[in-house]
Amino acid sequence: MSSALNLAHEPISKIPHGKMVMWVFLASELMFFSGFFGAFIVLRNSNYPIFGHGSSELNIPLALLNTFLLIGSSLTMALSIYNLRLQRRGNAKLFLGLTLVGAFGFLVVKTIEYSTKFEHHLAPGQSEHTTFFSFYFLMTGFHALHVICGIIPMLYIFMKMYSKSGYDHPVKLEVLGLYWHFVDLMWIFIFPALYLMIPFHGPSGH
Amino acid sequence: MSHEHAAATTAHGHAHDDHAHEDHGIKEYMKVFYALCFLTLLTVGAAAMPFPEALGHWKDTLHVTVGVIIAVIKVVAVMYIFMHLKFDHPLLRLVVYIPVALFIIMVFGLNFLETWDYTYITR
Repeated sequence: MSSALNLAHEPISKIPHGKMVMWVFLASELMFFSGFFGAFIVLRNSNYPIFGHGSSELNIPLALLNTFLLIGSSLTMALSIYNLRLQRRGNAKLFLGLTLVGAFGFLVVKTIEYSTKFEHHLAPGQSEHTTFFSFYFLMTGFHALHVICGIIPMLYIFMKMYSKSGYDHPVKLEVLGLYWHFVDLMWIFIFPALYLMIPFHGPSGH
Repeated sequence: MSHEHAAATTAHGHAHDDHAHEDHGIKEYMKVFYALCFLTLLTVGAAAMPFPEALGHWKDTLHVTVGVIIAVIKVVAVMYIFMHLKFDHPLLRLVVYIPVALFIIMVFGLNFLETWDYTYITR
């Protein structure tokens, strides 16, 4: 009787339910960001001078540093899942810790970036604000919010790994990893879209 | 062994023994990591590169297109290796392909439509 019940956990497709649901959630997240990108592209194409000028105010080296932090933490997340699956708990703990360091590092750099924007009066409601900075704060703001949302379950699992019983759910960590990689994927699109409008930086534009 | 662990190994698909799969996995992750770093620098380089002025408004489109193509390569690499899509069930891949394809079509489509409009209709 119990074996019949257990079959519910082994769907014919062999896809763990959590994984399937996370992918569907990420598809809806992609649509959420699609709205921003769609509006951004349409408005940018008819306002290259404003957007180019706005983009020239952004700090590319800091954004590059953030890109590498996110790519690195994506790698360590993948390695953490991999080690947990092989029951190497020490390594899994180490790599999840490094992922958290990357995530917090990203937020620190973001804070530095935002505070400069406020100092330069570029935030919404301030004197130098343009449409470009509405998109800048909207897209990077929601992205940073996603980073924070990823940190919370990561911290939970990280602390569980230090508890007596340890943490032995590689599939759960993998599902969290899917979310974390998605955060990285969105940054991969946001970074060139907002920061790398170098050809349009000139005062003339089009 | 926990139930979840069993599910994880089956979800991983391939019938390699643990050891062979192990070395393969780490090497692949590192390769993707290096590729992502390289492509990030390449995007910055491509954005800073001056394309010929003779292209007119298509110059802007070309810049954006190059940026998007590099981003798509990075995204596919992350999805296939980091997000394990390579080892997943085809059904799951289908769930992923459709929204991602729609997103990429939207980004390209809006860019081209706008330039097209600018070049041939409102000139």
